[in-house]
Amino acid sequence: MSVILDVKDLSKRFGGLTATKNVSFSLEPGELTGILGPNGAGKTTLFNLLTGFIAADTGSVLFEGQELRGLAPHKIVNRGVARTFQLTRPFLGMTVLENVVVACLSPRARDAHDKEARAQELLDHVGLGAKAREPVETLPYGDLRRLEIARALATKPNLLLLDEPFAGLGSREIEPLAQLIKRLHREQKLTILLIEHKLREFMALVSRVIAIDFGEIIAIAPPAEIVRNPRVIEAYIGKTEAAHASA
Amino acid sequence: MKQLSIVDLSGAVVVVALLALTPVLLNSNYFTGVLTVCVIYAIWAASWDFMSGLTGRENFGHSLFIGAGAYTAGFLATVWYANPWYSLPTAVVVAIAFSLIVGFPTLRLRGPYFALAMLSASAIMQRLCLIFWEYSGGEEGLYGLDPLIQSPLHYYWFVLAILVAAVAILTALAQSHWGLLLRAIRGDEATCQAAGINVTFYKIASLTISAAFAGLGGALYAHYQLQVSPPLFSVVVSITVIIMVYVGGIGSIYGPALGAIMLTLLTELLRTFGEYRLWVYTLTLMLILFLLPNGLIAPLWRRLTERFR
Ligand SMILES: Nc1ncnc2c1ncn2[C@@H]1O[C@H](COP(=O)(O)OP(=O)(O)O)[C@@H](O)[C@H]1O
Ligand SMILES: [Mg+2]
Repeated sequence: MSVILDVKDLSKRFGGLTATKNVSFSLEPGELTGILGPNGAGKTTLFNLLTGFIAADTGSVLFEGQELRGLAPHKIVNRGVARTFQLTRPFLGMTVLENVVVACLSPRARDAHDKEARAQELLDHVGLGAKAREPVETLPYGDLRRLEIARALATKPNLLLLDEPFAGLGSREIEPLAQLIKRLHREQKLTILLIEHKLREFMALVSRVIAIDFGEIIAIAPPAEIVRNPRVIEAYIGKTEAAHASA
Repeated sequence: MKQLSIVDLSGAVVVVALLALTPVLLNSNYFTGVLTVCVIYAIWAASWDFMSGLTGRENFGHSLFIGAGAYTAGFLATVWYANPWYSLPTAVVVAIAFSLIVGFPTLRLRGPYFALAMLSASAIMQRLCLIFWEYSGGEEGLYGLDPLIQSPLHYYWFVLAILVAAVAILTALAQSHWGLLLRAIRGDEATCQAAGINVTFYKIASLTISAAFAGLGGALYAHYQLQVSPPLFSVVVSITVIIMVYVGGIGSIYGPALGAIMLTLLTELLRTFGEYRLWVYTLTLMLILFLLPNGLIAPLWRRLTERFR
């Protein structure tokens, strides 16, 4: 069975805090996988390690058979691993289109003849086509999430990492965005790894869930099983229930 | 990318024509000299704006490149007795070398390292000129340079032509995809990296372009003054250039160039105020920067021409 991403024994400490501990997992091409864990579990840190934004202490990240660890973030993107940020980070002072054009100028994407036309296509694809000429400051939060995805797609990824794409969205915005992610996965045969800290949102979306707590993988299973996993219930669901009760 | 509008182009033609004809009408070598200095400062301000205005990485030591260009001209003339025309390309090469030496170690890092390194590098060069006085001429500097062009008016036109070329090239770059990337870097470096852009490369390359024009201006200045001295490396020069950029309107290239011309002229006109000159100058600056935080010239031009676009 082929593997597109093979993560082995990845660890990262911030001072006394172990944010990622001996994380190992692998993804098959075309898989849509979720990463589940409560706030502070180390999900974003794991993405930062995979994408080179933070240097790992130990371990290896093989992508399409090649080591990514030690490469600069922009090099990793140009190998075909794109990410979005949990807190959307648009380029202020630019139009929506220009925000995507920037990514169309990356070496991996540069062969497209007309960058603006390609950026427009990508915006159409994520449902922002009509807003291409508007200043990015005018976009509501849900649209910024779509813009993040368009920008990531512009770099022609083989693996797409989405950091809590549903966070901060209302229930009416979540469903169409989930549809978009499903469509990308289906139509472009994209391998997607998606972080979420609320179980409900991605139960219907992913085929496999990697559950993390305190930087460690506590379970890997299909969503239907993960909700019944005792360690997940103890570490994760219990906590959120408690949090909900106290909120 | 963006198309240059007819309005902007007509504005540019009018301003350049005015600048070219004014000394003919006034017919005074003194005033032609003042305008020459104006135009050289404009080259320095536009070149500062290309790197720092677009990427947001403030360069507090532009005088490093200015001085490097000027002293290159000085050494070529006084040590090697070279044809003065060799000054210009050599000054460009030397300024680029300096930009790589400072840019490589500091532009990889985020934070204030670049600004501080530029500031210190220019201050160190100023000190070195005094320490190695046997070679650099110490306080007095190097003198006895040959003019590039004998006639002050013709030299002024030559320098003006270089300014026009510099602003045209820098504006074309700033409005190209290259400029878009520099503005993206100003916005958010991490997002740029996530978009697959090699941020360090673009920052260093833009500093190199900025340095090339600053060094060229330095050599032009040296062949106008016919001498070079350590204050060319001083922080005062760098700060003066930065103020010109802010008054002109940061990030617009043409604004800083015109801001430089305006402020240099202002210093000259204020000579009539005698000893109060510095007060009036400082007060004017403070008023402009306080009332118009985005600058005077570029925002004003955009406002005036809004209706024609
Ligand atoms: N750059 C950093 N420096 C120090 N501590 C960090 C850094 N990034 C994350 N952490 C810490 O690591 C832990 C995991 O954070 P994070 O990966 O953001 O969690 P999650 O995304 O699962 O909510 C948190 O305790 C956080 O404070
Ligand atoms: Mg997170």
